[in-house]
Amino acid sequence: MKKQLIELKVNGESHELAVEPQRTLLEVLREDLGLTGAKEACGTGECGACTVLINGKPILSCLTLAIEAQGKEITTIEGLAKGAELHPLQKAFIRYGAIQCGYCTSGMILNAKSILDENPKPSREEILKGLEGNLCRCTGYNKILEAIMAVSIGEE
Amino acid sequence: MRIPKFEYFSPSSIEEACSLLYKYKSEAKLLAGGTDLFVKMKKKELLPKFVINLKGIEGLDKIQWDEKEGLKIGPLVTHDTIVHHPVVREKFDFLAEACFKIGTRQVRNMGTLVGNLCNASPSSDAAAPLLVLETKLKLIHLYGERTVSLQEFFVGPFQTILEPQEMVVEVWIPKEPPQSAGSYQYIHKASSVGETLVGAAVFLTLDPKDKTCREVRIGLSSVAPTPIRAKAAERILNGKRVEEKLIKEAAQMASEETQPRSRPWYRREMSRVLVEQAILQAMEKIQ
Repeated sequence: MKKQLIELKVNGESHELAVEPQRTLLEVLREDLGLTGAKEACGTGECGACTVLINGKPILSCLTLAIEAQGKEITTIEGLAKGAELHPLQKAFIRYGAIQCGYCTSGMILNAKSILDENPKPSREEILKGLEGNLCRCTGYNKILEAIMAVSIGEE
Repeated sequence: MRIPKFEYFSPSSIEEACSLLYKYKSEAKLLAGGTDLFVKMKKKELLPKFVINLKGIEGLDKIQWDEKEGLKIGPLVTHDTIVHHPVVREKFDFLAEACFKIGTRQVRNMGTLVGNLCNASPSSDAAAPLLVLETKLKLIHLYGERTVSLQEFFVGPFQTILEPQEMVVEVWIPKEPPQSAGSYQYIHKASSVGETLVGAAVFLTLDPKDKTCREVRIGLSSVAPTPIRAKAAERILNGKRVEEKLIKEAAQMASEETQPRSRPWYRREMSRVLVEQAILQAMEKIQ
């Protein structure tokens, strides 16, 4: 199939790329742009490992065509730190041991960011409901929840 | 897992989309949210030669409220938009609650109500509330249009009356009568997406004078080949004073109207329980 020229804006930077229409945003982020933070696990929209933010909202990059993401602000885990300074959620995940194998982490953190951006003081239940689409195969949910709660109460 | 190759179109008007669909018919698939389409394509259950992305068409992501006509929902309106929409929350709160149950946070940001209905899963959460709201769908194709009730739209598991050249351009929910309220109750599997095992929606209208049941509508999902209305159960309550004994009788009848394929005993029992709860909650909301 014919390649199409597209422009993707990822973490504030524009990239011009030639992609086939069936290629997912996840494939293009990982294979063409070398941004391997977003992961493929189930590939069918159940696990959330491929979560990235489009215009601030969490979506599944494994079920989104790269070609559809043109003209939108795409944020991946690589875009959260400011230089060497990690995002508060990243710091909290480290501090609380909310990372085990790390495969779900980028999706968890990006979704958590969108939850806190929408509601800076969510309840425990609201966080859990928000994270229902992110599976942690190591089952480290409590530490993940603690890390997010810590950020929501402004703990440094 | 990769999506098989296809030729891609991104029309900028409905007419253009209709003419592509008319040209390619069942070789083409429309793309809205992609949460069902791309999963089916990855699993090779669907292999369209052409994918027509509707997202380049302006104005399809709108919800409109009209005091006379009611609520109109466009084909690109996502579940998340419905969940947060002030008019939906005020007038059809149980529809917003049902949409909040669909998929996951990510899926609700991507998936559309119309896509969910076109997928025609027997366990669709949106279907039961929409059935009891007597929702209609406007279908168009290059040379015409028709309006069908949601009930007629579903013909079997994952099957609708939609012709290959047709698309759904509008979900229309008529204005709610006074002294009415709805409720959606469900139980779901403990799986990654928590598929609904039984979903029960009730929409109740009471007579303002004597509080008898002017009309009740009972909808169930995940208990039959398509989402269904439990009409015999409705007849038990219509025109009567809503009392505990009668509610139990109607709930029992609703459970007998189901045709669950798997876990039939459990699904019937839960249908009875959830219909009863939904009637009670709808009554509470009116009073």
